[in-house]
Amino acid sequence: MTPRPACRSKPDDRPSITRMSTSLMNLAAPRVSLCGASAVLLDAEGPLSLPTQERIWSLSERVRDLSGVLDTHPGMNSLLVLLDPLAVDADAFAAELLKRWADTRPGRVRGRTIEMGVVYGGERGIDMPDFAAFHGLSPKEVAELHAAPEYVVFAPGTGPGFGFLFGLDPRLFTPRRQVPVMRPVGSNISIGGGQAGLGTPQRPGVPAATAPTGWHVIGHVPDAPVPFDLNREPPFLLALGDRIRFRIESVVA
Amino acid sequence: MIEIVQTAALNSVQDLGRFGYRRYGINASGAMDALALAAGNALLGNEPGAAGIEVQLFPFVVRFHVPTRLAVTGAACDATLDGRRLPPWWSVPVNAGQTLTLGFPRLGVRSYVAVTGGIDVPEVLGSRSTYGRLAIGGHEGRNLALGDRLPIRSCEGAPQSSAAGFGAFPPAAFMKLPPHTAARPGDLVLRVIPAAEYEQFTEESLREFWSAAWSVTPQSNRMGYRLSGTNPLMRLEATEMRSHGLVPGVIQVPPSGQPIIQLADGNSSGGYPKLGYVIAADLWRLAQARPGTALRFVRCDVAAAREADRLAAFYLGQLRAMAEAQLRAMAS
Repeated sequence: MTPRPACRSKPDDRPSITRMSTSLMNLAAPRVSLCGASAVLLDAEGPLSLPTQERIWSLSERVRDLSGVLDTHPGMNSLLVLLDPLAVDADAFAAELLKRWADTRPGRVRGRTIEMGVVYGGERGIDMPDFAAFHGLSPKEVAELHAAPEYVVFAPGTGPGFGFLFGLDPRLFTPRRQVPVMRPVGSNISIGGGQAGLGTPQRPGVPAATAPTGWHVIGHVPDAPVPFDLNREPPFLLALGDRIRFRIESVVA
Repeated sequence: MIEIVQTAALNSVQDLGRFGYRRYGINASGAMDALALAAGNALLGNEPGAAGIEVQLFPFVVRFHVPTRLAVTGAACDATLDGRRLPPWWSVPVNAGQTLTLGFPRLGVRSYVAVTGGIDVPEVLGSRSTYGRLAIGGHEGRNLALGDRLPIRSCEGAPQSSAAGFGAFPPAAFMKLPPHTAARPGDLVLRVIPAAEYEQFTEESLREFWSAAWSVTPQSNRMGYRLSGTNPLMRLEATEMRSHGLVPGVIQVPPSGQPIIQLADGNSSGGYPKLGYVIAADLWRLAQARPGTALRFVRCDVAAAREADRLAAFYLGQLRAMAEAQLRAMAS
């Protein structure tokens, strides 16, 4: 077997990651930037926190029905607003968005809580050995740290129904890879920087696929619920603000 | 109904995209060359967002089982209707039983087939665009295959196909690009607005970005275009970023230093630093760029981008007015 490259950075040179804290206090000054002439990105800055994110969700709902707004996309600590450039001037909208941010209160969202069993390590958690070694932990200790908190769905992932999770124990913060590697997709439990991810499950009947990622895949959810079903109401399994509890199914050496 | 007689993977039903579902992780998809699709619809008197067929693998052959009117826009492919040549960007009536053939394009990459009333597949989450990742939209949520039958509205009383067609000037003839001092014939100049992380790149890299030729690599598709240049683009400091929403046209720079431009089916969010945005009004040009094309970037601001958007809207408006006058004259 070809040895896999270990995590590139050493534990003591990851300042940009350790700066992210789980503090619930900071609501630092936001920043807006133009994304071309047809979108505006508001970055709340400061650390990831639930109140900040609840404020982003509120702002998202407040502006999504404005005339000339095509869509809104909450990110981690950020909000992207897509505009019809012929109807709205991006510069003017950026100023308006900042103004609205100032008077937006966190909208308390208490979504559903969903529990999922995780198989840590093994073929579908292929990065676990290096990941554990990087932190000087055993795979079992990594699994326990990962499964302990209740996670909140903060932002949509790149596929529907699943997303970026908040709540990761800072002891597991890990720099992304400099060079992405190919990993099987489908219900992946992964970590990138200070973010935890739950990948979209493989659709039944669709051949297994791989995709490039800079994140560290340490496990998967073998019986992940179907994330998206048009015959279900609502069709999307997870909404922003939903909670996820991971249960250790097994830790494969 | 129209029947797919010859196709290859990657040809699909697309409209102008799916909006309103980004908070669930669903991006717009939609036509890569939205201007060509909108122009095809204008030539038929359709709504701009009616669904058409995006053809990116040729030859592509369809048979019409009802009379209607069609328009072929986008890449200049050798289009024929029952063997009779159709000029590029042309609108023509078609009878039941006729066959449309699109040959390999001489210029450009993607052609669009529009029909009166649009391809009548069901709307899914507000759009008829095929979104392969979720297997929704378009025809059965997938790319077109041999033998597929797509619903279209029959236009009773449509003029016979012996009637004259009419066409449009392609937009490239109408919309001029600013010059790039180092560009060579055949290079594609694109206008770029700097992005939030622009200042984080080294001065040398920024100079390189604006002055060098960036080649479109074969790893380019509906998700995005991967570019390669002589010197990779470097940041002053390699900090990590949180995942945030992306829009088509965003130029991301992964650690390799070789830029990626996210497009219609690209990631809706990501964490790579962004150097700039190809303005929306130039995305159709990029969508028609073949692998190997050299790209040159010129700096642009929001005011100029808005002007370019207005020019595109004006072009489509003129096209629509001309087409509607033609169609009215034929109907009377």
